[in-house]
Amino acid sequence: MVIKQAKEVLKIEAQSILDLVERVGPEFERAVDMILKAKGRVILTGMGKSGLVGRKISATLNSTGTPSLFLHPAEAIHGDLGMVTPDDIVIAISNSGHTAEVNTILPMLGKIGARIIAFTGGLDSPMAKASDIVIDVGVEREACPMGMAPTASTTAALAMGDALAVALINLRRFNQDDFKKFHPGGILGERLTIKVKEVMLTRDHIPMVQLGSKVKQAIEEINAKNLGATLIVEKNKKLVGIITDGDLRRALTRYKNIHEINVEDITSPLVKTINENQTAAQALELMELNAITHLAIVDRQNRVKGLVHLHDLLGREEFRVNGSFNPTTGAHR
Amino acid sequence: MEALTPPRGLIADLITPLKLDGSIDGKGLEGILDRVTPFAQAVFLSSPCTGEGKNLDSDERSDLLEKALDVIRGRIPILIWVTQDTEEKTRKTILTLNKTIEGTRDHGQVFWVDTPLYFHSNRGLPAYYRDICSMVDQPFILHNDPELIRGVGTPFKRNNIRTSILKELTALDNIVGLVFLGPLDRAYNYQRACRGRTHFRIYDGDETNFLSYPSTSGVVSVGANLAPGAWHRIVQSSLLLKGEQSNGEDLRQIWELDQYLRGLKDIYQTMPAAVIKEILSDMGIIETPTCTFPVENIEKPKEEIKELMARSGD
Repeated sequence: MVIKQAKEVLKIEAQSILDLVERVGPEFERAVDMILKAKGRVILTGMGKSGLVGRKISATLNSTGTPSLFLHPAEAIHGDLGMVTPDDIVIAISNSGHTAEVNTILPMLGKIGARIIAFTGGLDSPMAKASDIVIDVGVEREACPMGMAPTASTTAALAMGDALAVALINLRRFNQDDFKKFHPGGILGERLTIKVKEVMLTRDHIPMVQLGSKVKQAIEEINAKNLGATLIVEKNKKLVGIITDGDLRRALTRYKNIHEINVEDITSPLVKTINENQTAAQALELMELNAITHLAIVDRQNRVKGLVHLHDLLGREEFRVNGSFNPTTGAHR
Repeated sequence: MEALTPPRGLIADLITPLKLDGSIDGKGLEGILDRVTPFAQAVFLSSPCTGEGKNLDSDERSDLLEKALDVIRGRIPILIWVTQDTEEKTRKTILTLNKTIEGTRDHGQVFWVDTPLYFHSNRGLPAYYRDICSMVDQPFILHNDPELIRGVGTPFKRNNIRTSILKELTALDNIVGLVFLGPLDRAYNYQRACRGRTHFRIYDGDETNFLSYPSTSGVVSVGANLAPGAWHRIVQSSLLLKGEQSNGEDLRQIWELDQYLRGLKDIYQTMPAAVIKEILSDMGIIETPTCTFPVENIEKPKEEIKELMARSGD
């Protein structure tokens, strides 16, 4: 019984989001455009569970580059309306569109000059009528009996908020550097707390060529491992230096046939190293400080144990845009 | 352009009060409407089961509609079941009822409720509705009730409107809603089929479905004959028409109402028209408990319902 009920609830909630797909149209585009062009902030407001949804959407907007805050409708009447400026956009959330506390402040917000976007299922409701743009987040069925708590409707509003935030991310060309700035405690921040040894490349994955080898071998190794560089080591794997794509470009202008010269002729001894027990955040900091994208991991005898690339610290999949790698910031070395 | 926007909320599925001679009890109808209309967003007349529509011919339905129009005078919309056991008779009923409306001032909104599979297969339904919609102005609300269809034993293969057919039907402006009975999985498919239509309503025809997972269009309620106030409160709450629940006391009351309405349904569901008429007759709201079919062994459920209602103050 319990399992059946749980499955039913999940189906209803999933359906509520699927139903939104058909309804995303010109109004949504107008809302995105309005927010994008706004000089002020996006202010979320709503009562009860809708208020909680508003808080979450506000947090998502903040962490993805759209300045946002939550305004409690009751507090608004008692003075908090002062935080609203004519440049702000207000997103009011109410499934029915009849929430008295929210509808009370809408005319006041209008007088201030802020523009209003309604997230509601009540397309003919007072809230819809008082708004500049109405985004339909209505659902066909709630998953909770007797309206004890809004369920599918709040899920739908939340999902629409995410759709809005993601649309804005893409239009603002929000990149990973922005994400780091705004979201150090999120998935990415979490990733940066792990130790280097958990993300470094080891054994055969490390691009490595022995001292005395021809540059041709180094080029083959760089191509094979696809990291834009190879470490140069002694026979016992003691680290000597690094050759990067940049070194090869520079060598091309200096040598007539770089295939025939030895790696030591173009190896840079300035390779930076880090201990495997240091954090990914420390590795990232070192890379940023030196404007490099590779760090070698060595033991006490300076023998190579691993290599870490900037992409490994930030999560390689996160750099994929439209199926190809997005160029990241930072010089190669 | 869209046809009339169908109502949203509580639709009371009314019993049809009859005199001893089987004619419509106008005074009784007025009594029920006075009891129900303050709480309902619409009333449903001559429904196949509770309203005994299966046994009412077009003239009787016309008489019922005329009397209801006279009492309601456009205050709330009226839904009336137009289906008969053949396409020809159904057409005749629709035309007869249409005349009744045309002959009434201040008739307000009237919607035809039609159970197409009662007399027609899925094949050819869009053509049928295109034709019938061109004959009358009133909008249609479809009625999907697999149990009803199974009961009449039609030769057609299916007991439900096919989803693809429903999608075609919703392209017609004059088809504005659906009363749905059946498993929720089918409801989700229907919901997907109707996505393209703004203001298309899918009402729960099964009270238990509504009490468990409320459709936000509303419910067609049999129990509203007995406890219109309780149903009104539950529907208002479920559709969040008054905003979100504000306090624990509200929630406790709503929880108790839910238990009360489920309890009533458990008792009347086997023979709703007969049981409800007995009770309303005892309360003096309708003249007699006369039904269009033979009634026996309803003393026990009647007493159980009366006791439950007395405990809940109805």
